[in-house]
Amino acid sequence: MVAATPGVRAWGPSGSENAGPNPPKAAYVVARVGEAVTVISVEEVSKEFRSWRRRVQALAGVSFEVRQGEAFGLLGANGAGKTTLVKILLGLAHPTSGRVTVRGMEPVRARARRRVGYLPEGHRFPGYLSGEAAMRLFGRLAGLDEATIGRRTRELLALVGLSDRGGDRISRYSKGMTQRLGLACALLDEPEVLFLDEPTDGVDPVGRRHIRDVLLDAKAAGTTIFINSHLLSEVERTCDRVAILHQGRLLREAGVDDLTHPSQRFRIRLEERQHAPLELLARFGAVTLDGHIEVAVPDLPTLNHLLDELRSQRLLIAEVTPQRAALEDVFIELVREERGA
Amino acid sequence: MKVWALVVDTWREALARYTLLGFVIVSSLFMLMLTFALNLDIVDGTLAAGSLFGRAFDLPGGTPIETVVTTGESAFAAMLYGLGIFLAVFATGSQVPNLVHRGTVDLYLSRPVSRPALLLGRFVGAVTLVLANLAFLCGGVFLIISLKTGVWNLRLLAAGGMIALVFCSYLGFMYLIGVLSGSTPLSIMLPYAIYVLAMPLAAHDHIAAVADSRLAAWTVHGLYWLLPKSVELGRDVVQLVMGKGGLSVTALATTLVFGLGCLAAAVAVFQRRSY
Ligand SMILES: Nc1ncnc2c1ncn2[C@@H]1O[C@H](COP(=O)(O)OP(=O)(O)OP(=O)(O)O)[C@@H](O)[C@H]1O
Ligand SMILES: [Mg+2]
Repeated sequence: MVAATPGVRAWGPSGSENAGPNPPKAAYVVARVGEAVTVISVEEVSKEFRSWRRRVQALAGVSFEVRQGEAFGLLGANGAGKTTLVKILLGLAHPTSGRVTVRGMEPVRARARRRVGYLPEGHRFPGYLSGEAAMRLFGRLAGLDEATIGRRTRELLALVGLSDRGGDRISRYSKGMTQRLGLACALLDEPEVLFLDEPTDGVDPVGRRHIRDVLLDAKAAGTTIFINSHLLSEVERTCDRVAILHQGRLLREAGVDDLTHPSQRFRIRLEERQHAPLELLARFGAVTLDGHIEVAVPDLPTLNHLLDELRSQRLLIAEVTPQRAALEDVFIELVREERGA
Repeated sequence: MKVWALVVDTWREALARYTLLGFVIVSSLFMLMLTFALNLDIVDGTLAAGSLFGRAFDLPGGTPIETVVTTGESAFAAMLYGLGIFLAVFATGSQVPNLVHRGTVDLYLSRPVSRPALLLGRFVGAVTLVLANLAFLCGGVFLIISLKTGVWNLRLLAAGGMIALVFCSYLGFMYLIGVLSGSTPLSIMLPYAIYVLAMPLAAHDHIAAVADSRLAAWTVHGLYWLLPKSVELGRDVVQLVMGKGGLSVTALATTLVFGLGCLAAAVAVFQRRSY
């Protein structure tokens, strides 16, 4: 296994790599569904925040599972309930009803949080600590021994590009620097499960790419990753599966590939200056767009039937491309449908 | 190990936020004042002349020096009681509100530490901090007086211990307020409020006697028994230094029960809260 100790990369574009030995992950078996081990299980979880003035239903009967080694993305608009759900998974918030387990344990038990990493949204490190002191404090609270804390602190600060600033007070860090420190802290005890709430918030593009690399390394090492985000392109690049949350309810849960799967939409490009008869296109429900033909077909035979018709008109076909929907489009489409409903 | 980490964290916070420095400065000023203000002229083990803050002692001639010193010390102990608790409440008031601040509490609670352990670890940290501060303040006053007069009245140190115990009770209350409200100003103001509120309650029997309803009378009695006994304990600190008996065990015990009750409630609320 590689980089749940992602002490193997350095921050920045140079990205020097020096793979080191890494301790093996603790083996845990919770429940086997076919081959995959369920690491995170959410069953009919609801959460209502009550105050004397109003009630907010943050989550309403959400259920899903995340399997070992998976990178799972939770998508949703502002206020959809993403952070609330992650907090419930970490035992920070208690569900009003329903049940969650992480590695088979209820997260309210302290033991369940061992080797679990968490990068909270809008975290506020104690400003009086230096980066190193914060790592030491949270390492001790994680129950690590001093030698391990020292080693991990060095590795991880290097990994997130804070080696030379580790001794500075956190109150003097920039926003992106605290975010990177947060990531280092989350990776401190070589987590088996990593929860990240908006991990790239406030980080520059180079940093974002680096965070993605770190996460992909961790995933390659078998870490289960749970990301909350509304940066869909990022989730698309990192995650295997996503769930879309809307006003506390789960709209859709699917593999990223399934969601963005080549739909039955195709773009057909003809030889320069050739045009298909409009009557033919209308018969297939196709339209011309920027000089291309765009068509949605129920199946492949229909597509080929259209191609035959075009060929019979002595038109030359230069290109046929399946259209992949961007996750963003899928997301916006789903949310719009939901609002309309 | 985890408790140790939390104690270290408390000290670091106190250092970085200058609360420790503030405590040391105020305590040192108090001691400095004492050094210059206390003038004694001792002849043959009795006080020939003496003054405190420029005012001459008005004592019958030939009073043994021990009596003079313990009398003076008891006056200081009363001041230390007020000052010590005032400073300690000030120094620790932001502890819980800072911990439960959104974004910070997440970092602590997502570690494999139980919530009671987290809160109690910080409590232990605060107690060690205040113990050290009180040891500095009371120990300093004790040293100055003892060195100046040659009378070593160890009961003054015991009074320091008692002040620490009373403070622990207030700290329990501050933890409850902190967990409930997350507000530093409230965590500082409310202990002072109950300190002051408890003063007239020392005369609860008299107040209740003239109360116009039974409910009012019971409320007054109830409040008296519930809240820390600031007057009685202040008096007890003085008695303790003078070496006179008659300490009210009930006053100290009920005050400690109040603190423990508040701390237990704080842990229970903290345990149930969603952050
Ligand atoms: N502690 C709280 N008390 C009351 N209401 C809360 C609390 N935390 C969250 N909420 C409410 O629950 C709902 C979901 O909030 P949540 O923070 O989970 O959203 P989110 O999906 O993470 O949004 P964002 O993308 O903006 O971070 C919101 O309406 C929010 O106001
Ligand atoms: Mg959020």
